[in-house]
Amino acid sequence: MANLLWLQGGACSGNTMSFLNAEEPSACDLVTDFGINVLWHPSLGVELGDNLQKLLRDCVSGAISLDIFVFEGTVVNAPNGTGEWNRFAGRPMKQWVNELAKAAQFVVAIGDCATWGGIPATAPNPSESQGLQFLKRDHGGFLGKSFVSRAGLPVINVPGCPAHPDWITQIVVAVATGRTSDITLDEFQRPRTFFQSFTQTGCTRNMHFAYKVSATEFGQRKGCLFYDLGCRGPMTHSPCNRILWNRVSSKTRAGMPCLGCTEPEFPFFDLAPGTVFKTQTVMGVPKDLPTGVDKKSYIALTGAAKNAAPEWAERDIFVV
Amino acid sequence: MQHEREEDVLRADIAARLAAGLQTQTAPLIENDRQFAELLASLRGLRADDVDGKLKLGGFVDHPFGGEQMRCQECMYYLVHRKWCDLPELALPVEPSWWCRLWRI
Repeated sequence: MANLLWLQGGACSGNTMSFLNAEEPSACDLVTDFGINVLWHPSLGVELGDNLQKLLRDCVSGAISLDIFVFEGTVVNAPNGTGEWNRFAGRPMKQWVNELAKAAQFVVAIGDCATWGGIPATAPNPSESQGLQFLKRDHGGFLGKSFVSRAGLPVINVPGCPAHPDWITQIVVAVATGRTSDITLDEFQRPRTFFQSFTQTGCTRNMHFAYKVSATEFGQRKGCLFYDLGCRGPMTHSPCNRILWNRVSSKTRAGMPCLGCTEPEFPFFDLAPGTVFKTQTVMGVPKDLPTGVDKKSYIALTGAAKNAAPEWAERDIFVV
Repeated sequence: MQHEREEDVLRADIAARLAAGLQTQTAPLIENDRQFAELLASLRGLRADDVDGKLKLGGFVDHPFGGEQMRCQECMYYLVHRKWCDLPELALPVEPSWWCRLWRI
């Protein structure tokens, strides 16, 4: 039996919705098949008021063993570092987070807001939001660079806006069943099992990427979304085209550019006008090239690919 | 087939206009996305059949352009087999050796 506590800071509840839609395993499977005891969750918890405060205090004191502390949303520090804009159970949420993180065997940050600040931390960051152990790319965040939970691990970051349901439940199960040795983390503390490959891996438009045929409008059923419509699939680490959403699709499969939501900089360019759904270029060349490709190679590759492009690559290939 | 013939005719007509010295706006070069968006907005103000307007605003030339010899052949909007500019605001038959200010790779 592993006790899990889920709290929510500066958030839209998107990751809670995602979690409740998980299928492999489902939220119910966590309880019935994997022996996870959900102490409290914003959408599932039954305790209120004094009872909830007592539960939280017992977790902090150790009267209740806290095995997994899951946090969704940013740590809100406003105004002026007090955290008063996000009060919970009688005090600023940031105080609970600080004490519960120290008491927990494992700390798991779910979603961009909890991992690196996400949309709430976008400049000028009026809520003074931080992720648990990062603020965008800067290591540190609310808990500090050196933080490790009682089991000796840093915060396990499961980013996404929202995180895919199965990323959440599979990581929780791995932690709860003592398989943390199977979880290796990358430089941003993301489990490599999910975040080693790119969003582009498995994209059905890869042939259009290869032959440099661009989608030029939304809804087109041909063309790659990277060249013109701002898709970040070639430089975003996620398995969105390997572990499909709702088991059937992904953003790029449906013709929607990847927004790069599993990367620390999300939302990119601070959502400045003209930067969303538009590939940013300098003199016609993309500012952000596919990871590992330099400008010179990119230009050479484009020329060769265009020359080699077969006729079918220019046609709508998704005809029903 | 009829469609392709019409495109061939229009392509030849455009080539003739450019060869005859049609003056187009090759400057200023598009350096960033704001300028790109502004040019697109201007093109959207033209009628779909205003070929001269598109050529002039787009800054079309019938040869590779600049030190890097930029040309339609490598442009993202160019469909190689159809010899067609697929940028919705232009949507014109072109030759691979041409260039315009909306070129991107």
